[in-house]
Amino acid sequence: MNEQVISGYKSQSLGLHGTIPGADQLREKAFSNFEAQGFPTKKSEDWRYSDMRQFHKQAYGLVDHAAKPELPDMLGETAARFVFINGRYSEDLSDLGDLWQAISIRPLANHFMSNEYRVNELITGTDAVSCLNTAMLRDGLVLSVPAGVEIDDPIEIVHVMSDASNQAAHVRHVVELGEYAAVSVIERFIGDDSAYWTNSVLQARVTEGAKLRHIRVQEDGANAVHTAKSYINLDGGSEYICTNVALGGKMSRFDAEVRILVDGAKAIVNGVALAGSGQSHDMHVHISHIAPHSSSDQVFRTVADSHGKTSFQGKITVAKDAQRTLADQSFKALIFDKTAEANAKPELEILADDVKCSHGATVGQLDDKAIFYLTSRGIDPETARQMLVAAFTAEALEKIEFDDIKEALSGRIATWMLTRTATPKA
Amino acid sequence: MLKIKDLHVQVGGTEIIKGLTLEIKPGETHAIMGLNGAGKSTLANTIAGRDDYTVTEGTITYQGKNLLDFEPHERVGEGIFLGFQYPVEIPGVSNLNFMRTALNGVRKYNGLEAMTAADFMKLVRAKAKALDMNPDMLKRFVNVGFSGGEKKRNEMLQMALLDPKLAVLDETDSGLDIDALRIVSEGINAQRRDDTSILLITHYQRLLDYVQPDFVHIMIDGKIVKSGGKELAIELEEKGYASVV
Repeated sequence: MNEQVISGYKSQSLGLHGTIPGADQLREKAFSNFEAQGFPTKKSEDWRYSDMRQFHKQAYGLVDHAAKPELPDMLGETAARFVFINGRYSEDLSDLGDLWQAISIRPLANHFMSNEYRVNELITGTDAVSCLNTAMLRDGLVLSVPAGVEIDDPIEIVHVMSDASNQAAHVRHVVELGEYAAVSVIERFIGDDSAYWTNSVLQARVTEGAKLRHIRVQEDGANAVHTAKSYINLDGGSEYICTNVALGGKMSRFDAEVRILVDGAKAIVNGVALAGSGQSHDMHVHISHIAPHSSSDQVFRTVADSHGKTSFQGKITVAKDAQRTLADQSFKALIFDKTAEANAKPELEILADDVKCSHGATVGQLDDKAIFYLTSRGIDPETARQMLVAAFTAEALEKIEFDDIKEALSGRIATWMLTRTATPKA
Repeated sequence: MLKIKDLHVQVGGTEIIKGLTLEIKPGETHAIMGLNGAGKSTLANTIAGRDDYTVTEGTITYQGKNLLDFEPHERVGEGIFLGFQYPVEIPGVSNLNFMRTALNGVRKYNGLEAMTAADFMKLVRAKAKALDMNPDMLKRFVNVGFSGGEKKRNEMLQMALLDPKLAVLDETDSGLDIDALRIVSEGINAQRRDDTSILLITHYQRLLDYVQPDFVHIMIDGKIVKSGGKELAIELEEKGYASVV
């Protein structure tokens, strides 16, 4: 790693000194950790399918101009909307609805102004990219749902990047669910064609019996690099249901680190990725069963067009005491021609003896028998392919409980099918 | 309706149909019988336009047009229907969505407006009832988990919805018990009109008891070797291919 890049980030991190009380030491520590590791290379097992360094000829700067980009329509009915422009919270563009009456939701900077002692809870993340996020700690949301409170409609967090070439946004969200609370968070990422980097972290603590639904829709601009990590800790009988949809960016990576700490929790991490020409989507999931009687499920469906690439690494670890664990994982990829690439790497590490774990990975092309059957009924080949891709990806969207959002995402997939370049063999 | 002249077809470089000639007029029902490997299914797939079936010689004229100029979905728009010997299972696509997309595809091809969901539901329910189909089958994924008989009934439902001028039915009777055979036959007979034609492809005479053909052809090694009336099928059943041909 280029010395200049490292020192660039160092001065940026130092430049944030004094902005959030109590955070300086945290940033410094995180930066030393980042510096010691450097950016991951392809030699690192966790990053073998994504090369961050090719985009790192220089350090991405921190944007500070106030852009007023156009905001996308909501994906569906929402309880509130929070907007981040170029990594900074925008109060003007956000709409809190009447959510404040039920839960505490505040910009991270403000939150730690009044709760300085809690800053050190943000030390989650030891990999280089998350450490850099912490070293650049500046903005995000702290969302606390009190025990027993259930919010029906989802909360939308929109991250917009605008006119941000060679700039980065390192946003950090903190979600806390009290016992038996329930909330749904939609994270959306959009941006223009500038060559920016969005590096986002969401960390959540889901306490006993609580339920967190998490939908991520990544529609970053064509030249963007997107890295994101979710750290989820699950207590007894709690649930985490995540669906990640990767559509945009030049290179994107989503990393979910879910730890089942207490008996009987359930984790579902699903995803769809559509890689057009020159795009790479990498999904990395690690579900760690530490306590017994818990279950986890992963369903990933990806489609790669000509010169597109999708990758999946799914790891399940079952600790010695985590008896009666149920864990499933299914990855299926479609590739549209010989230049498309799909990588799959399931990993199971099981130390308990009374568990039921399964995994499967397949890579294939659209079924020409099915296409002929559809066309032999008067359906044109283009529509036939769209129907088959919609059916293929549907399984990974199934856990989204909001029909309007599910429909909006299916619509995105149909649109993608219309704009891709390859004609899949039929 | 359909004129096939000296047709030669290759599949994967091997010639399967070797000079077949056949004419079907409006209002006629023809049956082609033959042993496995005679090329019966290849003929059906060639008429439907399957892309790995290459016509090397000969012509297929449908309603005065060169059929080979049309893509598979366009042939359906022109009024041709292929009933599959092995209907394909398509997980994730609901039967209803499939059939509505198909019907509206054909309507669009013919310059008609798309049918609304409500009108389509009315139509499909009525047609399914006539075929004694469980309405649940409409909501399920296309052919997934259907029994052999259910798959064939589903083919008949698609035929009834698309209302073709020429129906080519490839071994529609295979895998059917006697009740299902009767219902499927009623579906085929309902499609017989003065302005429609049917080409039945079958192994056995059984189906022809229910759907009485006007002409029967015997196909061996890629050619029609003998043609006659429905009595030819009975003769074939009694004496076997060896002595009839």
